[in-house]
Formats: sequence, C-alpha cells, structure tokens
Amino acid sequence: MRKAIKAAFFGLISMAFVGSAIADITFVSWGGAYTASQQKAYIDTYSKGSSITVENYNGGLGEIKAQVEAGNVTWDVVDVLPDQAITGCDEGLFVKVDQSEFINDMVVPPVSDCVVPQIFWAYTAFYDKAAFPGKKPKNIKDFFDVKKFPGKRGIHTWANALIEMALVADGVKASKVYEVMSTPEGIDRAFAKLDTIKDHVVFWSAGSKPLELVSSGEVVMALAYNGRIGAAILSEGKNFEYIWDATVLEQEYLVAIKGGNEKEALEFMAHASTAESNAEQAKYIPYGPMRKSSIGIIKKGEPWFITSSGNIDILPHMPTTPKVLKRAVIGDPVWWADNGAEVHERFGAWKGS
Amino acid sequence: MNQSQTSTGPILTTDGIPLKVSLKKAERINKIRAFLLVLPLLAFILITFLVPIGDMLARSVDDRQINTVFPKTFEVYKKWDRQGLPSEEVYKTMFFELKNSEGYAVGKASTRMNYSKSGWKSLLKKSKRKFKKIEEGPFKEKMIATDKKWADPEYWLALGQMVDPTTMGYYLNAVDLKYDSSKNIVQQKENRRIYNKTWIKTFKVSLLVTLFCLLLGYPISYLLATLPMKYSNLLMICVLLPFWTSLLVRTVAWMVMLQQKGVLNNLLVMSNLIADENRFQLMYNQTAVVIVMTQILLPFMVLPLYSVMKTISPTYMRAALNLGASPMHAFYKIYMPNSVPGVSAGCLLVFIIAIGYYITPELVGGKDGQMVGNWIAYHLKTTLNWGLCASLGAILLAMMTVLYWAYNKIVGIENIKLG
Repeated sequence: MRKAIKAAFFGLISMAFVGSAIADITFVSWGGAYTASQQKAYIDTYSKGSSITVENYNGGLGEIKAQVEAGNVTWDVVDVLPDQAITGCDEGLFVKVDQSEFINDMVVPPVSDCVVPQIFWAYTAFYDKAAFPGKKPKNIKDFFDVKKFPGKRGIHTWANALIEMALVADGVKASKVYEVMSTPEGIDRAFAKLDTIKDHVVFWSAGSKPLELVSSGEVVMALAYNGRIGAAILSEGKNFEYIWDATVLEQEYLVAIKGGNEKEALEFMAHASTAESNAEQAKYIPYGPMRKSSIGIIKKGEPWFITSSGNIDILPHMPTTPKVLKRAVIGDPVWWADNGAEVHERFGAWKGS
Repeated sequence: MNQSQTSTGPILTTDGIPLKVSLKKAERINKIRAFLLVLPLLAFILITFLVPIGDMLARSVDDRQINTVFPKTFEVYKKWDRQGLPSEEVYKTMFFELKNSEGYAVGKASTRMNYSKSGWKSLLKKSKRKFKKIEEGPFKEKMIATDKKWADPEYWLALGQMVDPTTMGYYLNAVDLKYDSSKNIVQQKENRRIYNKTWIKTFKVSLLVTLFCLLLGYPISYLLATLPMKYSNLLMICVLLPFWTSLLVRTVAWMVMLQQKGVLNNLLVMSNLIADENRFQLMYNQTAVVIVMTQILLPFMVLPLYSVMKTISPTYMRAALNLGASPMHAFYKIYMPNSVPGVSAGCLLVFIIAIGYYITPELVGGKDGQMVGNWIAYHLKTTLNWGLCASLGAILLAMMTVLYWAYNKIVGIENIKLG
C-alpha cells in the first residue's frame, strides 16, 4: 500500500514536471481588430504546445519596466512600437533574438537586436467622399490648406507624424524630412505650418475616434491609422477615401520579455515572423507585412482579404505598395527616441496656447 | 476611607505583587492583543501605501543612474572650466568608460542623459559600436570623427547638471525651471514651458468642478434629506445609478451629447436658437473636462452632504421660523451652519479626486484640457522619465498636505463629517 502511494506520489511529481516543460505564454498586444488578426494568423495556427493567453495594453514601456524591475514578469511576448523596441533592448528589458532567418528579407532593417518583424502601419489622411462633391483633396498640402478645402481637421494629440507631415506640406521632400527636423529651424518651420490649421483642428487620442469624427461630419478630413480606415471601408462599407501622400510609416515588432518564459516566447515569435505568417495576417487587417517576400505571397493569392461576402483585393489598401511608398515618410524611431520628449512638450505647449 | 489614608506601603494583590505592577501587566497584554489585531492592517498600509510613497519620493531626487556608469568621467569633468570643449583627458576617460561598460547600464544612463539634452541617447549607442574599432588616441579627434556631436559643447555642458548622485532637477523640471551647466537655476526654454500652465489649469479645473458640484449637489441633497422616504429613495437611486455606471460609458455618452454634430448642438440648431455654422465647441477642450468631471464627481458631493443633512433636525428650522425669522434668514442662520461639516467633506473629497484625474481629461480634454495626471502618464509610459513623474506626484502630494493643513487651521478638521 505504502509503495503504491509512493509510486503515485512520484508519478504525480514527474507528471507535474513533464507538464511544466512547455510553459504557457501571455501575449500582449493593442486589442481590437489588430489583436483579432494576430489571433487568427499566429495564435490559432500555432501548434507547439504552449497555450497562449491574450492581454491588451496601451503601449509604452512603463508596465514592462515595472515587471522586470520587480522581478515579477507576467508578460512573455509583447507587440511594441520601434522606439520602445530600441529603448527596451538597450535597457535590457527584452531578450536578444536570432535574426538570421529574416534579416535579409526586411523592407527596412530591424531597429534592434531584440525584435522579430510584424507589420507596417501608417498615419494616413482620409476623408468621406460625400464631404467633397466637387474638387477632392489629393495630397497633404490640401490637408493643410483650409482656404482651398474649408472645414475642420481631425489630428492626434501627440507630435509623431504631425511634424513630418507639416514639413512635407511646407515643401520639404519626404526623404529629407528627418534632415530638416534635426535642425532647430526645421522644428520651428513645422510648428509654423501647424499654426496655419490650429484654429481648425479637433484632437483625438483613441484610434477609432477619427473615423467617428469623419463619419459624423464633425471634421471633413482626419489623420488615422490606415488599418482602421481600411477596416471601415472593407468591413463596414464606409465611403472613405485615402490621401496616399506623406503617409508616415511606423513599424511594429514582437519582443520577448526578459525573465518571462523566454524559450517558449522565442519559439512563438519564430512562428509569428515567417513570411507566410506575416502574409496570413493581411487576410484579416490591411496592414503591410514587413517581410519583402510576404508581399509576393499576397500578390499571388489575391483576392486575399477575407470578408463575410467573399474575398477582396487587399493591396490597394496597403501602405507598403511601391506607389504609396514613393510618397511616404518612413518614420525614424531613432530620431524620436532622441527628441520625442522635447518635441512632445513643445507640442503640448502649442496645443494649450 | 480612613484605612486608605493610614496605609503607607503600596497596595498589594493577593499573591503579593503590587497592584500597580499587576494592573500594568494586564494592560500590557491587552495592548499587545489590540496591537496584534491591527497589525495586518498596519502591515497592509505600510506595504501598499507608505513604502510606495517613500519609493516615489526617493526616485524624485535619485540621480545615480548615470554616476555609476561614468564615475571617473565625472571626476575629471568637475575640473573642467566649462569654456569651449573639455580637455583630452575628459574625452579619454569618457571613451574608455563607454567602451568598457556593460551595454544595459549605458542604455539606462543614455535615457537619463537624454532628459538633459536630446540626442545623447543615439550618440552613446552609435559611439559604443564605433569605439570598438578605436584602440589609441588622440581620443578627442577620433571621437569627433565618429560623430560631430562630440564637438558640440552643448552636450558636454548638459552633463554638468548630473554630476551629483542626488538632484533637484526633476522638481525644477516640474515647475519649468532647470539647471544650467554650472548648476545655477534658470528658466526652461520658452517653447518648453508647459508644467506651470498645467498646474494652474489643474487647479482651475479642480476648483471649478468642486464649485459646480457644490452648487448642484446642495439642493439635491436638501431634497433627499427632506422629502418623504418614498420619493427620496427614488431620487437616491437617480443619484447612485450613474455612480454605478462605468466611467468610460459616461464619458463617451457626454461625447455624443456635446460634440459639434451632437445631440445638444443639433437641438439648438433645430429650434433655430443658433445658426448651423455657429455650433458651440463644447467637446475636446477645457469646458468639456469641467462639464464631464462635474457630472462624474457629483455623487461624491451629494453623499456626504446628504448624510449630514439627514442629521439636522427639522425642529431647528421650525423653531427659527416660529420665532419670526424669514425662511431665507432661517436657512442662512440655522440650516447652512449645520450643514458645513458635510460641505467641507464633500468639497475636500471632490477636490482631491479631481486634482489627480486622468482618464476624462485624456478622452475629452483635446487641445487645452490636459491636466497634471496626463503628463505623469505620458512620462511614465513613453519617455520612462520616472524621476519627473515622481516629482510631479510628490508636488501633488505636498499641495494636498498644505491644503489639508490650511483647512485644519481655518475650519478645523473635527468639523468634517461623512455621516
């Protein structure tokens, strides 16, 4: 009897060990349609054993830093913006990853040693076709021209992308924007341009807001995340039109948090960063894959985007097609990591004055 | 009586121990027992309240992040006269300390250095990579060759603010001041002066919200306290129902009501009170913050007011009226003084909650409705400047303490009543 108990006891213990050999992981992202697309493309297709819990957050490194400093890491894989990817990697919050699999297949080189590629998204100007029955706005100059196209503009409450767009609207070439921004006069010039629309802006801070503002007629044009505009057109049948000019491309990466279940996290990240996976995500949301070969996969597979009433061509809604890229600004996270705080404070002063 | 006067020695208990000692012993056990009962709560408060506040205060002056990475550089830096560029020696020490230090330490230090001068972050990162190839001097020229920022005295001057392991810099930053290179206190650059304005705005909004809450809450509470039970219960539910509804839902509901193409403006236009192009801008500004916060915080005013008014006996008013006072006079002389404890409690409560508010200003604040809480959140999440967050938080705490002290002096804290 005693032997049996002993055997059962050790059996249980060893089972516990076998059970814990593959740890579960917590995947943290931005929520909404974006997380849903990741769920379908990466998590539902993952079969390596880890069960994955999904949580939402609002960006920033605050919570991650607190978890790592307190030694109580509950997040394993997090979806981050590039400037956070840089700072977090520099400060030792993230695990370094082997990038050999994708390093030569990226549209832009990865921003740090800790990331695997996800998507490009873009700050994009758009309008409701019904708001402009006659002449329609075509470029970012029109967005900043309240005489030619009267009406309110919806812009976000932080400075990223607004500085870049203001400079392009003021005549700076998209490729030279960060050169100009690195001089004090360049920043002054951007704020001077922003001054011209100041009395005509409505600010938003949540990603769904600009769509509402344009739909309700509160503003005639707004800046928004291109995926949200795409989702509104593709899934809700809205009559919106993109202004594919001076779109500011931002990168989105996955990182593994140091002190979490690192091994399982890295395995999952390897799965979520293959060219096929990156292309798969575009079936559910119109963001641009960061891997060059993903675009080819999508092109071959068109109509790629899945809706309830059949598939639709997705490339016209992507911020990374050559036609759009030619007129786009590729956001420079290094510049923003250096100057973000200073410019943001100045932007705060500008907003409130 | 006689006996106690005549006995001179100490009173003894039956087992021969002096009564005083015996009583003390019994009392001590009681005290320990009582202490053990409150111990869990005490520990809870200590761990969840006092320790974090202590940590916050420590962070607001802590400046070791960088001193532990570049200790020798700072030693030689102190000798520099802050004219032109520093000497070869400073460059050389900086070079070796940067080259040989551990990567993550440099990352943290560069984040800190970037607060003083934008650009340090990428400069250190790039330089660390490029320095690997450099073996010998002259270091000054070679460093400048890798990046011309090393020849910009502004970067070197910015280091002067960080030479000590503790700093008041974060507090200065929180009131639009800063250290110059020789640690004199000067004003922040004009286009970055943002915090003083934010402090004033935060106070203004909190005061307005408190005032409107009082103006709206006082009559409601009076009705609640004086109406017969069956009406007052219904009214109470009307007060509490929004209180139980999610904050976000209420905030978003206000957005629908107040925006330019919203319910209120549409009604005004439809009834021809205003022209279509003159719709009121009631959303995404300070006005919106005041309106929405007033509605959200109203229950915090009504509840303490109600519970105090409930205890004011109606006979006082009747007596005053009976003695010939006019209703206005009786109200002013009798009812109002009696309700002061509730008014103070409600006002303090609303003001304290309002001054640290974050989510409502974030959602409806738009261009000029951002309060201090929004800046704390920004620096906490985006710039990781926790020192500045801590000092902003500490200033808020100090303000509340001063307010509490002033209140105690003027009104007296015993005059506060929640029920």
